[in-house]
Amino acid sequence: MNSLEVAICMGLYYWFSRLRLGYTFSSMLLQPVCVAVFVGLLLGDMSKAMIIGAGVQLVYLGVTSTPGGNVPSDPALASCIAIPIALKTGMDANLAVALAVPFGVIGIFVDQLRRTINAAWVHMADRYAEKGNLRGIYLCAFFYPALAGLVIRFPIVFATTYYGDTVVNKFLSLMPLWLTHSFELMGGILPALGFAITILVIGKKQLIPFFILGFFAVKFLNIGVMAAAIFGTCLALLYRGNSSKDGGAKA
Amino acid sequence: MMTEQNPVAKVTKRDVTKVWFIYYLGAELSNSYERLQSLIFCASMIPVLKKLYTTKEALSEALQRHLNFFNTEGIVGSIIHGITIAMEEQKAKEEDVPDAAITGIKTGLMGPLAGIGDAVVWGAIMPLIIAVFLPLAMNGNPMGGIMPLVAYTGVTLAISYMLCHKGYTLGKESIIGLLQDGRIKELITGASVLGLFMMGALSASYIKIATPLKISLLEGSPIVIQEVLDSMAPGLLPLLAVFGIYAYLKHKGPRYNRILVTIILISVVCSLLGIL
Repeated sequence: MNSLEVAICMGLYYWFSRLRLGYTFSSMLLQPVCVAVFVGLLLGDMSKAMIIGAGVQLVYLGVTSTPGGNVPSDPALASCIAIPIALKTGMDANLAVALAVPFGVIGIFVDQLRRTINAAWVHMADRYAEKGNLRGIYLCAFFYPALAGLVIRFPIVFATTYYGDTVVNKFLSLMPLWLTHSFELMGGILPALGFAITILVIGKKQLIPFFILGFFAVKFLNIGVMAAAIFGTCLALLYRGNSSKDGGAKA
Repeated sequence: MMTEQNPVAKVTKRDVTKVWFIYYLGAELSNSYERLQSLIFCASMIPVLKKLYTTKEALSEALQRHLNFFNTEGIVGSIIHGITIAMEEQKAKEEDVPDAAITGIKTGLMGPLAGIGDAVVWGAIMPLIIAVFLPLAMNGNPMGGIMPLVAYTGVTLAISYMLCHKGYTLGKESIIGLLQDGRIKELITGASVLGLFMMGALSASYIKIATPLKISLLEGSPIVIQEVLDSMAPGLLPLLAVFGIYAYLKHKGPRYNRILVTIILISVVCSLLGIL
């Protein structure tokens, strides 16, 4: 597939995933691992796309889960731009993360713009409701926001993926070693932000020891993800059982 | 129930499903800063409202009622749609339900249910499902992206479908009872424990911070700082990073950009100085 087609497809994918059609379906669609599947199909290198996608995913693991519907950072914009460029220029996952993060931040502003524009449709719906126009309300809830989304989202990803790899290639060849290393560092530290956000969302101080327990279970015992899920479930059941004995009366 | 005596069309299971599905489809699509999910709430109620209110005035009034500010978590929150349908049905039948009661129950429930939904659906189920399939993705397997999409969508669809219908059958009183019931609290606590344990486990393998610093003494081999740290407990620097950021977020609020910029600066400076 040529660059133009890839850029168009990525632009459309970004628009569609951020459209949020299907509450949880779309929220998974905009995760880096899912974007990676799409990029892998487009560029014909599934394996590398998934590895890069997994690297970017780590940064955004906890990021989607903030209350109030605010986007703290946009994993979809980050990965729709970074994964195809990383794949085309042959950069590794850490560098791809460093490329992704700034776009993730730009994504916040795009989403703020969208939700500001969306206020217009509510006012439109107010008028339709007065007239009892049901079709009008459906259009306000689905069609107009989708159209506005296409206008504000497609061009960013289209332009950056179309022109991006030449710029990035040039930049990569000029980059000094200390800068390359600092990108590696960023890739290593940034996932901590995602995890910190998750702790904040779950947010009960007395439960934090379970995080530390999980952390050292892996560090000392080298257990895998499935094993951690099993131990974690048992701990959850045990803790729940104990707390309900004395906690029930207070509630 | 006494459908024969009553001129108002009966809400069927199918209608409730329609409401649920429209809400699921568009919960975040039309989200705006002004009234958040109000637009989709109104749109999702249409299949029921147009059945219950046959005059144009009554329909218009009902539509406007549901354009009020609304925002909740879309999976657990679908229970509110079930309850609202039950209340609207009541209102259409007997007209003794004041508007304020419907709006009141909606706004009263949206906060607590968002809290439950954020903790269980977004804080535990979602990262858990991604985490389970992440090793596949890291090995270059597309199933690492496809399976989370299928599993998370499937699980959450099932939960919200069930809750919406449950909300309809239980009606408003029992829901408030259910919220005060200890079992919901237990569920949240259980999900939070599992979520935190998994996040801890994942952060252990995915945050990579190590220092190459060495202290050279006059004689003998230099002291490698990282080895000293590892001998105390492996992974102290990653753990420090997580709780450092957590503490900042906790005290200063969600200033993600400032943290991002700080991480970038730290990375560049530490790389230049050879600290990390």
